[in-house]
Amino acid sequence: MKLATRLHRSLRIARTAAALWILYKPPEYASRLLRRPQPDRTQTHERAARLILRSALDLRGVIIKLCQSVATRSDVFPPPFIHVLKQCHDAVPPKPFDVIRAAVESELAKPLSAVFAEFDEAPLASASLAQVHRARLLGGERVAVKVQYPDIEDIVRTDLANMRRACRVYEFLDPQPLALMPLLEELTTHIGFELDFLREADSADRVRGLFADDDRVVVPRIHREWSTRRVLVMELVGGLKVTDKSALEAAGLDPGVVVQDLMRIFVRMILAAGFFQADPHPGNLFAMPDGRIVVLDFGLAKELPEGFGLGLFELMFSMMTLNESAMIRAFRELGFQTKTGDPNTFVQIARRMMERSETGRFEGEFTEDMTDELFEAIREDPVVSVPSDFVLVARVFALLSGIAHTLGQRANVLEAMGART
Amino acid sequence: MATAANSETERLVYTSEELLESDACEAPLVAGGVRCHGGFDAEGAYRSPRTRYRAPAIRAWQARLKRDGATLLEVPRELMPPQFPNVAQAKLLVREGVREPIVRALTIISIVEGFGAIIRDVEVPDLGALIHEPIAGTALAHLRGALFEAHARDESGYRDEGGHKQMWEAARDLAFEKPRIPGDVLMRLMGRGRRDAKRERAFPQIDEKLEALLSTMAQVLVVEVFAMGTFAWGEALLSDPEVSAAPKPAADLIRFIRSDESPHVEYLRTALSEVRARRLRTQDGGEIAGRTVVDGILHRVLRAVASERPKQQREDVRRDLVAALQNAGRPESLLEAFEALATPWTPPARTGFEPPLAASV
Repeated sequence: MKLATRLHRSLRIARTAAALWILYKPPEYASRLLRRPQPDRTQTHERAARLILRSALDLRGVIIKLCQSVATRSDVFPPPFIHVLKQCHDAVPPKPFDVIRAAVESELAKPLSAVFAEFDEAPLASASLAQVHRARLLGGERVAVKVQYPDIEDIVRTDLANMRRACRVYEFLDPQPLALMPLLEELTTHIGFELDFLREADSADRVRGLFADDDRVVVPRIHREWSTRRVLVMELVGGLKVTDKSALEAAGLDPGVVVQDLMRIFVRMILAAGFFQADPHPGNLFAMPDGRIVVLDFGLAKELPEGFGLGLFELMFSMMTLNESAMIRAFRELGFQTKTGDPNTFVQIARRMMERSETGRFEGEFTEDMTDELFEAIREDPVVSVPSDFVLVARVFALLSGIAHTLGQRANVLEAMGART
Repeated sequence: MATAANSETERLVYTSEELLESDACEAPLVAGGVRCHGGFDAEGAYRSPRTRYRAPAIRAWQARLKRDGATLLEVPRELMPPQFPNVAQAKLLVREGVREPIVRALTIISIVEGFGAIIRDVEVPDLGALIHEPIAGTALAHLRGALFEAHARDESGYRDEGGHKQMWEAARDLAFEKPRIPGDVLMRLMGRGRRDAKRERAFPQIDEKLEALLSTMAQVLVVEVFAMGTFAWGEALLSDPEVSAAPKPAADLIRFIRSDESPHVEYLRTALSEVRARRLRTQDGGEIAGRTVVDGILHRVLRAVASERPKQQREDVRRDLVAALQNAGRPESLLEAFEALATPWTPPARTGFEPPLAASV
């Protein structure tokens, strides 16, 4: 990456950090000096989030990823950040085809025509780290080729270093800082995963193996011979968007069965196998006209610690069956800790979540409302430690619940396990 | 005392609160550090939870059924497949240090027991409108909010008390000293492939919710009756000092569970017998004998439970076992010794609820 670009990115990040400081700190000092209560910060949060969003849209790359990450952490950040930064979609303008061609040829050490009979110049999709092109191998098979942007690793390194610096300054200046550093470390790990396409290939193979006994689940086959750390060649599969109810019905598919299948797939990955595709947004899931479900994008596939699935199951089960002592045990076993050590805090949190469900009870579905309530309860003080895996899994179930509700269905985790016959 | 017993058997109507009420206990049941339901009376005898009124109520409904000339249905025990691995096989494995399949089996039993709580969510339609004869003063009239709720609480625990799920876990942890739980437990529980989205209806002429209710009750009844074999297996296994680190407390827990389960079997067979003795309204304004419907449903359930499922479960357990033996580097001779202890079993050809029999009301 050119020095000028690097400098521009560093300065932009520093400028944003300074603007945020000005937004928050002088009013805080003034209140303290004048012994006035702290004013409501909702508007300040909103302005800060918009400031960050503008920088992200300008700089793209890892900043976009950071914003997406913040938008999923309602356990740490106030609601205005979540609402504003949710708009930070991954779609970015594509790189010119010449750049992509050069990247592929350099990675495969061959001219494009030595591998592909056809290669669409227009991408199927473009995101912050890579873009995908439709192509056809010399053997005739239609494939999707995911190509990492050539300078992205440098950009990531620079941006992460800048953000780390900004975080340190923030932690130094703020007596009660938000826990941004762990979030940044988590983001660093996740981006590392996403930049390694061979890891993604391994993850896809692992999930395909998990469903070897279920011909209704499709994970695109990877062409290992043409895949590298920065280029991934996979079977081209697609289908109907799982959120397009009329298209599903027009194809003769029952949306209820589609949701049931989606839930079964994710429950099996998360609770039973402890290894899952952690990004089930509607762009990564399709229903084929014959009812098979396609799962794409294993860049963020994640391994859960041993016993996590059983622990999460126990938590949901205890909530469903109103068993408070089991709830407390499950929260603890998952790694939650309270500030006071009072176990009733967990029961209160669970009650608040249940109150946000339509029936006032937990019936096996983690809705977005319930997840929001959980994180709001956590943010309000009593819990000091929330396992990051739990946050990720709760987000996955909330996304699936969103898909289910779009189709007029419910995303019941326990039902997907076979609890209700 | 005799007078009280007589008046008990004459009383047929109870409130939900009464049917959920427990006897006062002198000491609580604490298992593996978890406060569980039930407790001990002054003589140290175990008292099942929520039976203060539920037990006499069930006896009263059964007595009424008998007075009305109806029979109490029996699920034939000979249809119950033997436990696999059986007690001798399980003991052999544990003695040989291959504990994982047994720990997995006990964990799955605890989860399945807990899932019994979903009975509280079974929709009970307006039975008075769907059944020709009156149902006041029957078990049927006490399902919603009372018998189902008591059943659910017994299985999964409620508020600050553990239920059968936690009691099975405690028995496992006592016997095997908090063993490592195999990571594939939930995978085994989920099984293979997918389930059909909608169950095919056997009696489309009756109300759909009524058929769903009767099917669920029949399934749960069969599971509860067959579970008696699991309890006997658990008690025999965990009471053996060669296998269990805490033979008495572990086996006692299973014994308590077995005694708590008895009201479940009794109220379910009473309610189904009450339906069997009545006529159901069909959707076209006609009627059908309750016996035809209940026996037809029971036949279907028993045929599935006594033939296909045990075979599949057996295959799954055997596969786990072979893997466990291989992982432990155990010789094939152990597998041969294990197989030699197998209980031969052929499912009976008849369920006792065959349709031709069912048709003769």
